[in-house]
Amino acid sequence: MGYTVVTNNVLCRDRFQGEYDVVYNEDWSYLDVLYQVRDLVQKGAILITHPMAGSLKPNQTPFRSVVIGTFTMEDKEPWEDIMLMENSIESCQKFLRGRPLPDYAENIKKDFRTLDLSFIEGAMARAFRCPGITE
Amino acid sequence: MRLELGKIHIKDVQFGAETKVEAGVLYVNADEICKLVLEDERIINCRVELAHPGESCRITPVKDVLEPRVKVSGGGQIFPGALNKVGQVGSGRTHCLDGACVVTVGKIVGFQEGVIDMSGPAAEYCPFSKTQNVCVVIEPKDGLETHDYEQAGRMVGLKVADYLGQFARDLEPDEIEVYETKPLLEQIAEYPDLPKVGYLHMLQSQGLLHDTFYYGVDAKTFIPTLMYPTEIMDGAIVSGNCVAPCDKVTTYHHFHNPVIEDLYKHHGKDLNFVGVILTNENVFLADKERCSDMVAKLASYIGLDGILITEEGYGNPDTDLMMNCRKVQNAGVDVVLITDEFPGRDGKSLSLADACKEADALASCGNGNVVIHFPPMDRLIGMTDFIEMQIGGWAGCKNDDGSFDAEIQIIIASTIANGFNKLAARGY
Repeated sequence: MGYTVVTNNVLCRDRFQGEYDVVYNEDWSYLDVLYQVRDLVQKGAILITHPMAGSLKPNQTPFRSVVIGTFTMEDKEPWEDIMLMENSIESCQKFLRGRPLPDYAENIKKDFRTLDLSFIEGAMARAFRCPGITE
Repeated sequence: MRLELGKIHIKDVQFGAETKVEAGVLYVNADEICKLVLEDERIINCRVELAHPGESCRITPVKDVLEPRVKVSGGGQIFPGALNKVGQVGSGRTHCLDGACVVTVGKIVGFQEGVIDMSGPAAEYCPFSKTQNVCVVIEPKDGLETHDYEQAGRMVGLKVADYLGQFARDLEPDEIEVYETKPLLEQIAEYPDLPKVGYLHMLQSQGLLHDTFYYGVDAKTFIPTLMYPTEIMDGAIVSGNCVAPCDKVTTYHHFHNPVIEDLYKHHGKDLNFVGVILTNENVFLADKERCSDMVAKLASYIGLDGILITEEGYGNPDTDLMMNCRKVQNAGVDVVLITDEFPGRDGKSLSLADACKEADALASCGNGNVVIHFPPMDRLIGMTDFIEMQIGGWAGCKNDDGSFDAEIQIIIASTIANGFNKLAARGY
C-alpha cells in the first residue's frame, strides 16, 4: 500500500528514500527506467506520475523518475497504463534514433537531476500521503 | 469585460539620459534599469544591451520576452499577483509599447534557453528578430539554488516590463483596439444564430522551468477555471518556464495570444467567442483525469458548440491534450487542436507522444526537428558557450567562427504551439 519511485536520479533516491520504496540504478538510461516501469506495470503496478514528465525530450535529458503504486483515485483500466508505457517507450526510441543523448558535463547533469526531482516532488505533493486511505 | 488596448508604436530603441518615448523612439536609461534589477540581492550583475532588427546580433541564452504595458484605467495593475498587488484586470484602458520587447538573458541551467538572431536565416523563424529589444543580461550570485534563480530571473523580466510600461501611461496611443466579452448569458444572447466558440488554454505546470502563474497562482495547484479573454492582455498569466525554446510560450505570447486575437476578429461575424477555459498540464496522473473531466464539464456547461485547444510542451502535455480532446468531443463540443510537431528530421515519425481517435482536426505549427545553419554574428548579447548543450544543438555543432548548425527548436518561439509563427502543415 505505498508508492515506488523507479529512478536513475540520485537526487530522487535521496529525497524519497525512507518515505517510499525506491528502485534506483544510476547506470540505467532514460529508456531503461521506462523498461523497468513497463515490466512492473505489466505485473499490475499502477502509474501515479506520467512516464514522460517534463517536456525535455528523451534524447535531451539523461534522467527519468516514475512513481508507481498499488492504489489510485483514477478510474482507469490496467491496459491504459500499459498503452501509455508502450507509447512512451516508442516515442523515446524515436528520439534516440534521430539523435543520441549528448555526453553532458557533470554540472549540466546536475541541472537535469534538479529538474527531474522537481517534476516528481510537485506531483507527489498532490498525492495521498497514505494511498488507499481517503482523508 | 471591455478592454481598450492603446498601442504606442515603437520604431526604435536607444539609450538616453532619461527613459521616455518620443516620436516613436523608446529611450532607456540603463542605470535605472540596472538599479531596479540589482535591488534583488540574488543578482550580482546586470547589463542592458539593445538589439535592433537587421543587426548582425545574436542573443542567447534567452529566458523570457515581455512587452512593456501599463494599466491606465479599469482597476488592477499589470501582472497582478505576480509582481503587483492582486486585483481583477481585463477592463478599462491598457497601454503598450508595441514593437518594443524586454528580453531577459542569462544562464539559468546549462541547457534549455534559446537563441534570437536579429538577422540571417534564423531570424525568419523568430518573432523577436523583428522587435526593438531591450536585453537585460543578468548574473546570479555564486551558489544560488536553481529555483531561486529562476524566480529571480522571472521577476527581472516583470519588473523591467512594468518599469518601461509606466512611460506609456500618459501617451496618446497611435492605435486603439477594443476587445469585449460580455457576461455569459448576455454574450450568448447577443449572437443567438452564431456558433458558440471557446478556447481551452493549457498552461505548462510540471515543475521547475515548466511552470505558469495565473494571478500569481502556480497553475499546477488550481483546477480548471473560466477567464475573460481580456484578462490575459493585462498580464494575468505569467510564464515561468523555459521548456524547449521553440514552443515556449513567453509572457509576450500571453499578452498576444493569437488564438484569442483571431477569435475576436471573427467574433460577431461567423462565430460567437464566449470565453476562455484555463487548465494545466500536471505530472500527477490523477490531476489529468480530474482536470480533463472539469474541462469537458465547463465546455458543456457554458454551452459551447466548438473549442480550440492549445498546449505547451511535448510528452506529458500530449496526454493532457488528448484527454481534453476526447472528453470535450464526447461531451458534444467539436474540437480543433493546435500544436507543433516532433516527427524527426524527415517528418516520418509520430508527431506527438499520445493520440486519440477524436483528434481528427489539428492545425500544425511546424516541425521542431528541422536543422538550419546559424551564421557567425558581429555582436553577441549573452554567451554561446553552451550552444552544444542547448536544446536543439549537439556535440560538435559549433564552429570556430561562432557559426553552428542546430535544430530550429533552439530558436525562441520558432514552432510555438499557439500559432504565433509562420510555420504550418498543409495537405495536398
